[in-house]
Amino acid sequence: KVDEREQPTTNTVEEPLDLIRLSLDERIYVKMRNDRELRGRLHAYDQHLNMILGDVEETVTTVEIDEETYEELYKSTKRNIPMLFVRGDGVVLVAPPLRVG
Amino acid sequence: MVVNSIRERTITENSMVILLQGLQGEVTTVDLRNESTARGRVVNVDAFMNVRLEDVLYRDRLGQLTQLQDLFITGRNIRYVHIPDHMDIMKTIESQLAKIHRVRNFGSEGGGRKEFAKKTK
Repeated sequence: KVDEREQPTTNTVEEPLDLIRLSLDERIYVKMRNDRELRGRLHAYDQHLNMILGDVEETVTTVEIDEETYEELYKSTKRNIPMLFVRGDGVVLVAPPLRVG
Repeated sequence: MVVNSIRERTITENSMVILLQGLQGEVTTVDLRNESTARGRVVNVDAFMNVRLEDVLYRDRLGQLTQLQDLFITGRNIRYVHIPDHMDIMKTIESQLAKIHRVRNFGSEGGGRKEFAKKTK
């Protein structure tokens, strides 16, 4: 956590949220609901998984079905935001950035 | 702005909402869950992330713009809040915490109300 108040932060990993603590100030990958993904630097987070991400790239993926061929066309829209507060209830998973392009 | 309920103060103190409360007076963009966005000046944010905005430009998901003098957004409906570039996050959180602690310690010398006072025996 960003703020160390009464309790100093421990160095051991005790619960899943501690794994996220290890990623503070690192670039992370966040999968969100509604086919969205975020890649950015984790500045802060809380128990709800509300997060502050810096230098964020948001990717929104949509699927269109071709009416004639019934092919699935995957489209993704990206945008960049310098500093973003993300509400935790939209977060599905948090991971180190994926290597695959 | 002072939050009056102890419950709200505790919730705020223990989550990232405290940073959003430090945005009061700033102009920001809020992305809603329904794919629309609202850009305006933050009037107030409560512990549940409910937001009041004023002088708002509301863009619905089709891109249609509406001007609103006053907008209340329920916390549940927020997806993102854009933080202005010039904001120092740590300083903002620290000053918001200081405000809460000032309220909590108010009147403690003169026998005022004590929250979570330790029982001494």
